[in-house]
Amino acid sequence: MEGLFLILVFFPMAGALVSYLADRKAGGKNVRDAAAILTGVIIFAVMCVLACSGRGSELYVPEICGMGLHFSLDGFRSVYGVAAAFMWMMTLLFSREYLGHEEHIGRYYFFQLMTLGATLGVFLSADLFTTFIFFEVMSFTSYVWVVQEETKGAVKAAGTYLAVAVIGGMVLLMGLFLLYHTLGTLEMSELLLAAAACEKKDILYIAGVCTLVGFGAKAGAFPLHIWLPKAHPVAPAPASALLSGILTKAGIFGVLAVSCNIFLHDAQWGLLLLSLGLLTMFGGALLAVFSVDFKRTLACSSMSQIGFILIGIGMQGILGEENALAVRGTLLHMVNHSLIKLTLFMIAGVVVMNIHKLNLNEIRGFGRKKPFLNLCFLAGALGIAGIPLFNGYVSKTLLHESIVEGIEVFAPLEGFLKMSEWIFLISGGMTLAYMTKLYVAVFVEQNADKQEQKRFDGMKRYLSPLSAFAIGGSAVILPILGLLPNLVTDRIAELGHGFMHLEGEVHQVAYFSLENLKGGLISIAIGIMLYGLIRLGTMGRRDGVREYKDCWPKWLDLEELMYRPLLLKILPFIARVICRILDSLADWLVLLLRKTIFRERKIPHELAEGNELTHLLGVVLDWFRRIKRRILKQPAPEHEVSYEHKLALQREKFVETNTIIQRSLSFGLLLFYVGLVFTLLYLLYLGKG
Amino acid sequence: MNAFILFFVVLIPCIGGVLTAVIPWKKRTHMLVFLEGLVIANSVLVWLLLFHPPQEMFTMINLTGNLTLAFKLDGLGSIFAGLVSFLWPLATLYAFEYMTKEEHEKVFFMFYTVTYGVTLGIALADNIVTMYCFYELLTLVTVPLVMHTLTREAILASRKYLYYSIGGAAFAFIGMIFILIYGESPDFILGGVLDAAKLGEGTNVFLLIYVLAFFGFGVKAAVCPFNSWLPQAGVAPTPVTALLHAVAVVKSGAFAIMRLTYYCFGADFLRGTWAQYLVMAVVMFTIVYGCSMALKETHLKRRLAFSTISNLSYILFGVVIMTPLGLVGALSHMVFHAFMKICSFFCAGAVMHQTERHYIHQLDGLGRKMPRVFAVFTLSALALMGVPGLCGFISKWNLAAAAIDSGNVLAYFGIGTLLISALLTAIYMLTIVVRAYFPGADFDYSKIADIRDPNWQMLLPLFVFVIGIVGFGLCSAPVTELFLSIAQGGF
Repeated sequence: MEGLFLILVFFPMAGALVSYLADRKAGGKNVRDAAAILTGVIIFAVMCVLACSGRGSELYVPEICGMGLHFSLDGFRSVYGVAAAFMWMMTLLFSREYLGHEEHIGRYYFFQLMTLGATLGVFLSADLFTTFIFFEVMSFTSYVWVVQEETKGAVKAAGTYLAVAVIGGMVLLMGLFLLYHTLGTLEMSELLLAAAACEKKDILYIAGVCTLVGFGAKAGAFPLHIWLPKAHPVAPAPASALLSGILTKAGIFGVLAVSCNIFLHDAQWGLLLLSLGLLTMFGGALLAVFSVDFKRTLACSSMSQIGFILIGIGMQGILGEENALAVRGTLLHMVNHSLIKLTLFMIAGVVVMNIHKLNLNEIRGFGRKKPFLNLCFLAGALGIAGIPLFNGYVSKTLLHESIVEGIEVFAPLEGFLKMSEWIFLISGGMTLAYMTKLYVAVFVEQNADKQEQKRFDGMKRYLSPLSAFAIGGSAVILPILGLLPNLVTDRIAELGHGFMHLEGEVHQVAYFSLENLKGGLISIAIGIMLYGLIRLGTMGRRDGVREYKDCWPKWLDLEELMYRPLLLKILPFIARVICRILDSLADWLVLLLRKTIFRERKIPHELAEGNELTHLLGVVLDWFRRIKRRILKQPAPEHEVSYEHKLALQREKFVETNTIIQRSLSFGLLLFYVGLVFTLLYLLYLGKG
Repeated sequence: MNAFILFFVVLIPCIGGVLTAVIPWKKRTHMLVFLEGLVIANSVLVWLLLFHPPQEMFTMINLTGNLTLAFKLDGLGSIFAGLVSFLWPLATLYAFEYMTKEEHEKVFFMFYTVTYGVTLGIALADNIVTMYCFYELLTLVTVPLVMHTLTREAILASRKYLYYSIGGAAFAFIGMIFILIYGESPDFILGGVLDAAKLGEGTNVFLLIYVLAFFGFGVKAAVCPFNSWLPQAGVAPTPVTALLHAVAVVKSGAFAIMRLTYYCFGADFLRGTWAQYLVMAVVMFTIVYGCSMALKETHLKRRLAFSTISNLSYILFGVVIMTPLGLVGALSHMVFHAFMKICSFFCAGAVMHQTERHYIHQLDGLGRKMPRVFAVFTLSALALMGVPGLCGFISKWNLAAAAIDSGNVLAYFGIGTLLISALLTAIYMLTIVVRAYFPGADFDYSKIADIRDPNWQMLLPLFVFVIGIVGFGLCSAPVTELFLSIAQGGF
């Protein structure tokens, strides 16, 4: 049984290679598709087998990658392993048609399957080190999804994605390092006890925040959500479905692993996550309401739903031992969101596949007379909007009730939690509002261009049976989860208890009691109101046609406003100045030495005439004369000889005279007599002494 | 084995190199076969030595008093010797193809091969005098290699290299003299040789001497602010930049500092002193500095050279932690970085050789045309960043673990430095990869239609390095254990 872990992680990578090599062979297209899809199906089957019979099994591969790899399987891991394998299988089925005409489909399959292996590695990991390794691999391989189309937008978005992933990864590594140093272990099963016994709480918090940054960046939590609204619209639809449905959950998995082990029942930590969750939830919903791009709306919605999940994790901490509602709500919302986004993004893929557009004004009316697509979209939209009888309602109710319980139990935070409850309800309303906006635009309204509408209506073969199976198969699960909450959904929820260390009592929740329906109904009411406001506020007329306007200010983009200038302009500038100085330090030193002690001797400056003295004197005198002229305002005579020249001539004359004198006889005699006089004087001096 | 062979392996490449230049070869192939055979034979001999290390030392010549030139194989030396002798045959093979486009091949191969012997001399040196002599010799024999193209740029670069190296050696000389006078013996002994009785009160003087000698040897290891020779020396042919300026020469500097720190002054003497803090601060700065400079560099080989500066300081960071674990980190990065960097340099050289493109913005779309080279380059880039599963991650992990374990406050900041640098590495390496693979949808591939991968002589070394990068990354335990036993004096 243990060997299956390795199959799950490494078989997709082998499949990736086979499919890539098949793509490079001429005529290997069918082999390539078959290999990719078969890998997906096999992995799903193996995962199911393992989830059913192998719960509790473990595998430790020592010494690989430095510290060894450790996998294990419990309820939570099996839920997410199965979910991931299922989503991959469905998207692979869908990819065949979606990317059929693409140039680089071999590359796409390769990285799709590589990421499958890595993601399963993350979800099955039993220690944070293993999580980290596969997390990093996943980050890098999924980069290629985003850049796949190689348009300008895609390359830029992919750059953002990579930057966030790399920075997140580094900070995460630092956090894990601190944890390892403080606690001495990264095994998830040992972390709980080790953290409880740990004295240095402040270091734990620092480490926790570091890991939160790393995992949160991948999950799309505020303020590192920037990649999410950019990467999803440009990636191929099946990839967007996975990015939003599963990759964000890998981040959440990490957050959960940290908060449910190291900060179990820690109210402060819970408060931090709750605040982050509120910001993410509300911010995402706000962006989604304003968006006029089909996939971007879904992407922002993903961000918002991640906020809901983070709130659940936060409430787990705040509620302490009695956190059953939050625990169950968190897991269920994760599952619901994964499955819903799988369906919705694939539907967006159908739109792109047929008309290569995403702007709401251009795709308006595409879904008319396409009942299958309509129903599938409704299943997802109603689910995520939290309409009773659909799956999102169950998880949102649980999360809402957990906040309500928090208000009752946790007196010091009552005000804050009450506010949180209202933000929660409003965000729920906004979810309904933007999903309605999408539904009305795509499936109800007619396109402004009558010709276009006719073309849309005439599309009969807009979907291959395989893709239809992928979408239908994903959509049909959603109502089942919603209609039978006590039968199916609760069972799934129970699987998460072990991982999140739920020990308190679990009550059966009557999801459709009046009290529980109240929150949902308030949300729905808010949503309907908001939708009315949206129609009034964001629809304008152009050329006599009502259309959706992009009202969100362009400049209000955290990335363009803050991150890019900071990382690309300000920090490099400072670093460059420092570097420049230090880079030239040694050279300057050499230069300084050459200018000072090792200076070369000057070539002597030769005067044309005269010597130093006459030159100096002459210059000074000339200078005085010029000043005198200037003061007295006398004009300079035409042929004036400078003092310098005059003095030089004088000196010349003097030297000449001297030579003549020295050579004459009388000068010699004169010197002779001077000598005699000195001799005489000396003799006299001697005689006296 | 007989200790004489220690001297023999140093001598063979020197003689062989000279012979290469002297013999009038009828055909180029003959010369290549001779050279490759010689280098491989020597490497085999070195590896035989590693597995059957001679216990005694071999004294070559006695200069005066206790100044002898002697060789001995110990743990640290065997790592360096093993590394160098593993890489040299591969690099020589690569050079055969690369040098077809360059002139004065014979002279080049003469100095290239002589350098092999000299580097082994540093690795096998038994005492600081021997090491110093070969260290100086290394400078002299590598100057012609840098100057090889004889362009104005190359001459300037080699002049700078010469000034810096000779200047550094002067400082190192001061250190050597102090060790000779105040040490119990000139030999390398793990734990240091300083004689406590002779030290007296002058600890600060010794620390100052250590710092001077550190910077002296550090010139070759490109410690800031003595690093500017390295990027400039990138004008040399790629086999030189790859092997000498990523491994042999610069790692000789790092190796000498290891000897100086652990085997002469002694880690215990230095730990916790101002000297340690000073050099550690400088090293940490160099790490970030090298990365930042690499980031703004647009010339491919110079970018890699700046990356080398930063990575060399990783090694030195491990060294100046001054604990056995620190030495383990330093050794692992010394070995792993050698693989990663020589690999990326060879890829850059392959691109230059096939396309005559030197700048990063010219690399658009080449990933499709040279799939093997760029696959290897991507792998080495990921390894340099420290992606788990590849060897760079292991050495960085070892370094960070040593830093945390040392309890030194500055070393904690060092971990932050490592992370920042990893981030910058990611940026400057991945921008190259991204350009090569994703030039944008409107890129015109017909412009580069006739570009393809180089021949097997260039590719074979690359694949060997890739095996090393992945192999060490996945299964590092035996190597790390070996390093640990060396650092604790067990080998």
